[in-house]
Amino acid sequence: MMAGAESFDVAVIGGGLLGCFAARELCRWRLKTVLVETRGDVCTGISRANTAIVYPGYDHKPGTLKAEMTVRANAGFEQLCRELDVPFSRCGSMMLSFGEKADAVLRKKYLQGMENHVPGLRLISGEEAREHEATLNPDVRLALYSPTAGTVNPWQLGIAACENAIQNGVQLRLNTSVTGILADSGVYRLQTDRGELSARAVVNCAGLSADRVHALLFPSDIRIAPTAGDYLLLDRTAAKPSHILQYEPEEKGKGLTMVPTVGGSLLVGPSERENSLDYAASEDGLASVRTLAKKLIPELNLEDTIRSFAAVRPIPQYRDGRRINSFVIEHPASGFWSLIGIRTPGLTCARELGLHIAGQLAYELDAQSNPAFNPVRKGIPRVHELTFAQRKQFAAQLPDFGEIVCICEDVSKGEILEAIRRGAVTVDGVKRRVCTGMGRCQGARCQQKVLELLSRTLQIPEHAVTKDGRGSEILRERHGSL
Amino acid sequence: MAVCDLLIIGAGAAGISAAVSAWNAGCRDILLVDRGEAPGGILPQCRHEGFGMASFGHELTGPEYAAHLIQQLSRTDVRFLPQTEVLSVSEDRKAIVSSRGTVDQIAFARLILAAGCREHQIGSLPVSGTRPAGIFTAGQAQEMINLRHQDLGDEILILGSGDLGMIMARRFTLEGKHVIAVLEQQAHYGGMARNYHRCIEAYQIPLRTGVTVSEIHGRGRISGVTIKNLETGTREYSACDTLVTALGLIPEQTLVQDIGERDWLYLAGNCRHVHDIADSASAEGILVGECAAAGLHLGA
Repeated sequence: MMAGAESFDVAVIGGGLLGCFAARELCRWRLKTVLVETRGDVCTGISRANTAIVYPGYDHKPGTLKAEMTVRANAGFEQLCRELDVPFSRCGSMMLSFGEKADAVLRKKYLQGMENHVPGLRLISGEEAREHEATLNPDVRLALYSPTAGTVNPWQLGIAACENAIQNGVQLRLNTSVTGILADSGVYRLQTDRGELSARAVVNCAGLSADRVHALLFPSDIRIAPTAGDYLLLDRTAAKPSHILQYEPEEKGKGLTMVPTVGGSLLVGPSERENSLDYAASEDGLASVRTLAKKLIPELNLEDTIRSFAAVRPIPQYRDGRRINSFVIEHPASGFWSLIGIRTPGLTCARELGLHIAGQLAYELDAQSNPAFNPVRKGIPRVHELTFAQRKQFAAQLPDFGEIVCICEDVSKGEILEAIRRGAVTVDGVKRRVCTGMGRCQGARCQQKVLELLSRTLQIPEHAVTKDGRGSEILRERHGSL
Repeated sequence: MAVCDLLIIGAGAAGISAAVSAWNAGCRDILLVDRGEAPGGILPQCRHEGFGMASFGHELTGPEYAAHLIQQLSRTDVRFLPQTEVLSVSEDRKAIVSSRGTVDQIAFARLILAAGCREHQIGSLPVSGTRPAGIFTAGQAQEMINLRHQDLGDEILILGSGDLGMIMARRFTLEGKHVIAVLEQQAHYGGMARNYHRCIEAYQIPLRTGVTVSEIHGRGRISGVTIKNLETGTREYSACDTLVTALGLIPEQTLVQDIGERDWLYLAGNCRHVHDIADSASAEGILVGECAAAGLHLGA
């Protein structure tokens, strides 16, 4: 253990979406990279709950990094998702107005979008909007239609990027917390609770802790003020819109988004609450989401709700409390990059941000490009997506893929075992990889089977299996014999 | 592709009874499919008494009741296909089934759906707070305790006083656990009086009516809930390490929801409507089995 620190070219701190993509994009150069994550799995912090939208790019001021990156990222999303074998739906979006103030906002966003070169944007009448979505509230008077908006599952994308990074040689260190960073003659020495690592460069993607990680070595005027948002998830049978719908309110901060997810359910939210680090849904927030959802689509049946939850966003602000609207990319010294408070459109731009930082670092480290880089990752085969003939053949070759464990989402034992082989160590880790327990019974029928498979495969006792990491044990240890 | 005259999906009380009665009525080509290893459906995990009075004239436990049904089944040549999930049923009278190593089609002339029901779960309620481990549906808890012999927690709160909620309150008590209370939104317990007397009263388990869980607390594992009085609106915190939800049952009709009424399609048991006792699900299975064998159609 004390035989000197392991040395790398780059240490990426934080295995969320951003860290996974930074690590993956660094593989385009000949760099030895380590990805360090505090928890036992990747994409278990703020990446695990998100509005799941790939934005078109009309929301941001022309000329800003956010505007440029969003438009570019959006255009490349099919290719990215093809490379990483992740479902992506370019379902289009409509931003809806019910009044004068919102009309003005839509017009402004339309012009902004034109200036940002967002393709296909149109301002359409309420009538035309209802031709696209018959169930819309008849009071919708204007809509900003954007055909390029899409949706992707955030954690599936992040996990895919991580797998691709590992495939290209990145080392993943889980359950490893960075406790201190020292700059020592051109090398950064990372103290962790599992020994020391040294790297010529550091990319800080520590999510909600990014401000604190930055402050381990450099002073900063920026801190993260987490904001929570509440969401509802409606069953796949719900009469759902086919486009992303965004309600532009007359009153600031009371908007709502509906996303027909790639998994088939309908995601509705968020209602925002400031200064909340809590992944706890609020009663008022959920009530507001329910009210607004009914306002957008009056016949929506909220009894189809199968889950409600809160997500947390890392809002960057100055110490005096002023909010920062742009992505904060701090570069206080050569080889040290911090991504602080990357919120919306962080999911859309995760890969662009990773590529941006990787390119900068390659230059600083004078790295050569890596001709062996393989951008293609194969996902876990999903029996539900196969035709009958394919499924029949597949089950005959790999028997586990015929054994259905999750009834609601049609997930086989083979998929679950493959998820565990690829790094899932918790019930939710399996869920994030193959959607077990995502459906209408929310795991009531499959959780115990997933738990058993985790216990057997990882060779840990059943009472040590957790829902989502330490402290979330599902069973008590049985004392005495049966 | 397999072929049969009568396909029965679900080998619980209704499905087995339907199979036996269709056989007795002369149908000789019956395929009974279930996801379980053995016939019985939910009965093996129902270790409590209260089964069989109507069907067999004396009170049995769930596993005993299942044994009686299985014995009847064994006197027929109904083919039983275990550990098989039915993925879909189509209008051209084919079912796609999946099991270890095999995905196949089954063509049938008539179909009895006896798929039972599923439970409402807490995600459908407007409950705020965190989403920690330690929350189970009553049926899930029943399976984990009675069949898997697992230990779910020590300080138990039960939301919902239907039969399953009350039976699980007793089960946890018998397991040596402390049931803090059974919470009921309505003014009166939800299940049958006999379950109230035998499970709640007899074990002096506190039943609180007119209240619900409005918020869940705890980071990794549940540490408590906020109990809200639905009449006064007052709230109080109650610590617990396990929350069991008994929020009612939903007939499991997913497989045929896009098909609608057909003269070849029959529903029996809890997937038709939720029955109070297994005997009445069996009785319905017997009736439906006879009708299916005779090719008679029953209205939905």
